Amino acid sequence: MLLNPSAAPPPTEPEVLETLGGIVARFDRRRALLVPILQAVQAQCAYLPPETMPLVGRHLGIAASEVYGVASFYNQFRFFPPGRHPIRICLGTACHVKAGDIILENFERKLGIQEGQTTADREFSLERVACVGCCALAPVAIVGETVHGHMQPSKVEGLLLQIQIAREKAQREAAAASPQAEDPSDD
Amino acid sequence: MTEAPSIRTLDRLRAAAQAACRARRPEGQPVVRVGLATCGIAAGALDTAEAFRKAIAEAGIDARVETTGCRGHCYAEPLVVIDHPASGFPPILYPEVTPGKAGMLTRFFLGEGDPRFEHMLGATVANELIPSVLEFGRFNREQRLVMDRCGRLDPQSIDDYLADGGYGALARVLAGSPQAVVAAVGAAGLRGRGGAGFPTGRKWELAAAGSAPLRYVVCNADEGDPGAYMDRTLIESNPHQLLEGLAICAYAVGACQAIIYVRAEYPLAVKTLESAIAAAEARGLLGPEVLGTAFAIQVSLFQGSGAFVCGEETALLRSVAGFRGTPTHRPPYPAQKGLGGHPTVIDNVKTLATIPVIVERGAEAFRAVGTPDSPGTAIFSVVGDVVHPGLVEIPMGVTLRELIFDICGGVPGKKRFKAVQIGGPSGGCLPADLLDTPVDFDALSEAGAMMGSGGLVVMDEHTCMVDVARYFLEFTRNESCGKCTFCRLGTCHMLAILERICRGQGRMEDLERLERLARDVRDGSLCGLGRTAPNPVLTTLRYFRDEYEAHVVDQRCPGLSCRPLTAFYIDLEKCARGCDACVGCCPVDAVFTTRTRKKGIDQSLCVKCGECMVACPPEYDAVRRISPAHLAPVIERPPAAEAKT
Amino acid sequence: MIEIRVDGQPIAVCPGANLLEACLAAGIYIPHLCHLPGLPAAASCRLCFVALGDRPDPVPACTVAVQPGLEVLTDTPAVRRLQRSALELLLSAHTIDCRRCPANRRCALQRIARFLKVPLKRPDLPPLDPPGGPPGTGGELVVDPSHCVLCGRCVRTCRRLHGHSRLTFAGRGQRTVVTDWVETGPAIRCTDCGACIEVCPVGAIRLAPGANDPES
Repeated sequence: MLLNPSAAPPPTEPEVLETLGGIVARFDRRRALLVPILQAVQAQCAYLPPETMPLVGRHLGIAASEVYGVASFYNQFRFFPPGRHPIRICLGTACHVKAGDIILENFERKLGIQEGQTTADREFSLERVACVGCCALAPVAIVGETVHGHMQPSKVEGLLLQIQIAREKAQREAAAASPQAEDPSDD
Repeated sequence: MTEAPSIRTLDRLRAAAQAACRARRPEGQPVVRVGLATCGIAAGALDTAEAFRKAIAEAGIDARVETTGCRGHCYAEPLVVIDHPASGFPPILYPEVTPGKAGMLTRFFLGEGDPRFEHMLGATVANELIPSVLEFGRFNREQRLVMDRCGRLDPQSIDDYLADGGYGALARVLAGSPQAVVAAVGAAGLRGRGGAGFPTGRKWELAAAGSAPLRYVVCNADEGDPGAYMDRTLIESNPHQLLEGLAICAYAVGACQAIIYVRAEYPLAVKTLESAIAAAEARGLLGPEVLGTAFAIQVSLFQGSGAFVCGEETALLRSVAGFRGTPTHRPPYPAQKGLGGHPTVIDNVKTLATIPVIVERGAEAFRAVGTPDSPGTAIFSVVGDVVHPGLVEIPMGVTLRELIFDICGGVPGKKRFKAVQIGGPSGGCLPADLLDTPVDFDALSEAGAMMGSGGLVVMDEHTCMVDVARYFLEFTRNESCGKCTFCRLGTCHMLAILERICRGQGRMEDLERLERLARDVRDGSLCGLGRTAPNPVLTTLRYFRDEYEAHVVDQRCPGLSCRPLTAFYIDLEKCARGCDACVGCCPVDAVFTTRTRKKGIDQSLCVKCGECMVACPPEYDAVRRISPAHLAPVIERPPAAEAKT
Repeated sequence: MIEIRVDGQPIAVCPGANLLEACLAAGIYIPHLCHLPGLPAAASCRLCFVALGDRPDPVPACTVAVQPGLEVLTDTPAVRRLQRSALELLLSAHTIDCRRCPANRRCALQRIARFLKVPLKRPDLPPLDPPGGPPGTGGELVVDPSHCVLCGRCVRTCRRLHGHSRLTFAGRGQRTVVTDWVETGPAIRCTDCGACIEVCPVGAIRLAPGANDPES
């Protein structure tokens, strides 16, 4: 099942909710701090849980709808939890000229999702960005925080495979470290 | 005559900085300098630096690794300079230094004094032993006024900047009157580097006039043009020059608060600025009592959250105040009534970084560079289909031909140059016969393009100009703030028409409608984003109308780029039977083997990604792309059962 | 009082008055949607263009403060071209279903279209899909994005009356909507004053069914 942005976001995990209040309380009650507060929440939670809007609104004395109005204006803010490995494809001019859209399409095909969506297992999410300023390396894909330059359609599969292998390795190591923690219902 | 307190204080700071630099850099010790800006890191420079450190430690060589900013030679990243005085060679520039190469260079050059000529780009200075990079157009045709220190200094070290003469302009300015600075900037004829080219001196005059109790200075580092990244490089490579310019500007207009509005998409730039501001405050170069004078300046960072329209100054101010970044009608201009109703000067990174240069060298010397109406230099990020992409700083007035062909090496391969896109989504596409246009504010506007923020994308014959217009329109449609009717809806309709044409479903009357809409959006929109959004359409219609007509009349894409209008096929004369490269690489299994063991492409499955064309070995070169799509020869796919055997 | 000339006809106005308001008060109609008297110009609907004597390009009248001797033309080809174009664009994003619309006959779009002689349905500008609503359930007010022209009169009126606005713009570009996005928890409530419904020029806002019901 895909996490489609037109559907309601999934329920916020309790521990995320707990941290929200702490983040907001760090800031003065000034309207000019609205965007920095939202940025701090997203830095912590990776997205803006729906509870953010009334919480921040109360802090600053404005309507929750107004907080949502500002947040939804800017590309940076997400209202859905991204995948553990957010993949961003640059579609700046240089990347477009060097066929960045084909790279995006290849990711869409390999992951089985459209841009703006997250895979059902929450491993990957796919986004397009307007330009990351690495134009001389076009076309560019950003996986997590790592910029991959000179992308080719054939490199896509390898990149995903690499992540998967790293993940499986980590899982194996975690399982080896604590064998009793393994969930028997998982297979 | 005793010297002004600001200059005395700076002399003391500089002496301390020079001592600190000497302590860090033992005389004669070999040094490896690795460029570590975002582009270098993306190319793997972190691994390279680490490999040098490891190799040096393992070999027990007395040498150090330093990090610098970006030199602008992005085609050669990771770029490394090795200065090994004892070897007798001058400092040498090495391109594309992988971790493997790093180990090799450590062993041979640092260890044995053999600089490995075959791997070098050249010496960084003219000398008698080895060729210098200064013999290449990419190096000797540039004139670096603003980027002079980029790639030479460690951006993390304020000592480097101070020891190199940095903050001298600020000290000099603080010894004189604010009016003198405004006058000097006015006399230099500096025009805003943000795009529109408004005279900076006049803007400052406007803001300094009257008796406002509070004034602000805002540095606009919301570099949103896709394809431009010089602001990011300037910040990442030499943040203190920007801070110095910012402080001078604040002193000139009487502001005591400054905000740097930087894109959150530039994490390294944000980090570099944060530490630079802290370092400058610690030395008394920012904050209260700057350089021991009564002048105080508080600098804060604001991270823009990703909205291209926030590069527009009224929208930027709304965003800083915590609102949706929608532009407001001008006048009043921010210089008269800006943040919180107070006079606010908003200048681009490049403009502010130019200020210390003007103060140091004087208005006359600055005017001597460039053209009478656009003095100074311009920084372009030249990208796209060009041999040596990267950042280039040239005097205004150099022609596009010199810039693209003599300096950046022209179009790679045997392809022909088709067009150059200047100024991003607000700019336009200029054809080959306008290559002799000089780059300055007025000449470019006249040709229908725009200086913009200096993004320059070179396009070869395999670029479709209708698709380029469509691309930019899609960008402005997505980035339109939605406030005014023309920009919100006009860009949607224009994009719909362009998409239709790119699919081969356009009609001739679409072209007239497109042109009419483009003019209305240009004349009717509220802000600069909307007013310039039609430029890519208007210029491509003006210079490449034949391509539009080919799409509409013949369903043919002359650039072989629009996917619905093109098809791939395999030239059976050239196909080598045995090789399966194209079959293996196809992501959708559209390539198949015929009864004669040659290959064919199933047009109903093909997604036109072009992988097979890349995969086909150059000695066969059998994959062709053709437009209109129906011209591709049809090859029957053998029945599935048979194909599997 | 000072004198300005509009289409050659002298009218007396207060110095510094808003040109659009002055013209309307003098009985000279200029098409307009977003302007609210007494508030700073939003200048977003791009309909109230006029040509000023010395300037070649039309400017929105709502952004002009009158000065003595100002020469205004409201009916030049350039003015009409931009006005018609803006109206056609607005109509292309507006569901034309006048007979079933509550604002029928008092709709500003109908009046402007009649004045500019623009047909309500244009074959050459295909209708655009209305933007989808924001996530979450609606509050007491329902804003129909397929009718809303995003003039912002409701948002600014609410802010003027109550100091803050329940209604707000959300999203960006063509996906911009006016919404009173749901609040989870005690927060600013709508007072049901109905001012936003009153000022909407196209009848795009109504109370949600059951909004007045204290039980819900």
